[in-house]
Amino acid sequence: MFRHTPLRYATLILLFSGAVFQAFTGDYYGLEILSEILILAILVLALDLVAGFGGMISLCHGALMGAGAYGFALLATQAGLSPAVAIIVALILVGFIGCIIGAICARSHGIYFIMATLAFGQMGYSYVFDAPGFGGDDGLTGIPRPDMSALNIDLGDSQTFALYCLAALCAAYGLVVLFLNSGVGRSLVGVMHNEVRMRALGSEVWKIKAIAFGISGMIAGVAGILLAQHSMYVSPSIMNWTVSGEALVVVILGGLGTLVGPIVGAVVFVVLKHQVSALTSYWHLVVGCLLIAVVMSGSNGIFGWVETQWTRHLKQRQSPRLAPRSEPTSHQETVKDA
Amino acid sequence: MLETTGISKSFGPIHVTRNVTLKLEKGERRVILGPNGAGKTTLFNLLAGVLRPDQGAIHLCGSDVTSLSVAQRAKRGLSRSYQKNTLFDGLSIRENLGLAASIHTGNAKSLWRDPLGRPEVRQIVEEVANLVNITDQLDNTVNAVSYGTRRQLEVGLALATRPSVLLMDEPTSGVGPEMSKAFHRMLNDLPRDLTLLIIEHDMDLAMDVADTITVLNYGEVVFDGLPEAAQGSELLKEIYLGNWENA
Repeated sequence: MFRHTPLRYATLILLFSGAVFQAFTGDYYGLEILSEILILAILVLALDLVAGFGGMISLCHGALMGAGAYGFALLATQAGLSPAVAIIVALILVGFIGCIIGAICARSHGIYFIMATLAFGQMGYSYVFDAPGFGGDDGLTGIPRPDMSALNIDLGDSQTFALYCLAALCAAYGLVVLFLNSGVGRSLVGVMHNEVRMRALGSEVWKIKAIAFGISGMIAGVAGILLAQHSMYVSPSIMNWTVSGEALVVVILGGLGTLVGPIVGAVVFVVLKHQVSALTSYWHLVVGCLLIAVVMSGSNGIFGWVETQWTRHLKQRQSPRLAPRSEPTSHQETVKDA
Repeated sequence: MLETTGISKSFGPIHVTRNVTLKLEKGERRVILGPNGAGKTTLFNLLAGVLRPDQGAIHLCGSDVTSLSVAQRAKRGLSRSYQKNTLFDGLSIRENLGLAASIHTGNAKSLWRDPLGRPEVRQIVEEVANLVNITDQLDNTVNAVSYGTRRQLEVGLALATRPSVLLMDEPTSGVGPEMSKAFHRMLNDLPRDLTLLIIEHDMDLAMDVADTITVLNYGEVVFDGLPEAAQGSELLKEIYLGNWENA
């Protein structure tokens, strides 16, 4: 089950403070990067919900994010809905699509689940690419940001938009925590640990997976809507499987099944991308090497490694004479926590 | 309470269960005996809904459940424990029992409420933990407790759904003599209105707990009667109980 440890609270406070500091001190470029980090953080949070707590490794979250972006774009630009209504309708739509995908894929596991989600994602990508009304390869432009002038808030301003993204990330995080501590959320963790036993206890496993996937899809949809509002443009490339793959890399880099870890992963990934790409166009090589190092270390991502070190430190402080012989890996501890 | 009518199951040319007819009354405690490969676990899988019979029907509380899934049968009051521990290893014992209790009480369907904090769930957790003697281990993770405690939890999980029929596949499998005695006491302390169907190799436990005994051999029922009759049966001594009197 998911638990907030003091270290997780401290990291969350640190991340939040860092984001607020950056929002109030950063220049235009810094604010754009901040928004990019926050949007990616929402996407990886959605992925961590199903992958880290339900064992459902998805390669269609890029497509779900794209569905949110396109849904919002079409409703706000062509259906004539106000951005606020378009957001709500688009999220319901993406949640429904997520539910359907989750329900259909519920009986498959492991590599077959990954392949099934990949197929759904690529179907969505191909459809948006080819079908009329989606703008083809050119995508859709002129996507509006919500009008909050009544509250004296101008979302056209980079700083305000970054804070708007931060508020969305906080809401998404709260929703995920609330869900994981709910009956369905706890059942999802039960399914990940032992699907056979959950069935034997009378649980309809496919429904749990479908609901979890729906909520995860909805959160990925939030990321998509923010992405569309951020660039005021959406193209089919955000639905490509490589976007889902990149999100998975970020989740693993940060720490699968920790919620906090993937947010850390998003910060590291985006900062590395911008810093290293200024030096070389082969920035993926650096991220790849880092990912290999993290995986080979046996830790559950960067945050998992920090948690392991912190736990070891606490144990040594409690019993200084007993040096730990073999510490469990961070991943093992995380699974225990989950 | 639980009735099978001529159920059969084959895997290719191998007949694993042949025309098995059983009738368990409410509160009855029946032990199933049989040598390895007799089809005992397959029979449990048929009863629980993991496998579908090729022929025959299964009735639970008067309703035909032959075509129902595992989860649907569980909701109707059929629960089982496994020969090999089938637990939620990364979770605490309290969370394990809480999951089962929340499914039974319907709290597992909530999208916002924490089921483990619900009084009805906590009550079931406390009661079951007390029944299987793991109250002092509630906050330990399953990975961190002994094998015997896991066996107790295995039964506890099945009990936490408040079943009317409980299938127990070798509950004392792999435990020592002391723990086996504790299991005897635990089984005897279970509510008398709970119908029990137990696969067991421990003869002492079988004779101690059973109201009736069914013996399977090559998938067929070869004996169905009282424990005293089973003790005197030459057929049973031949196929299964040969070493029992000397044990």
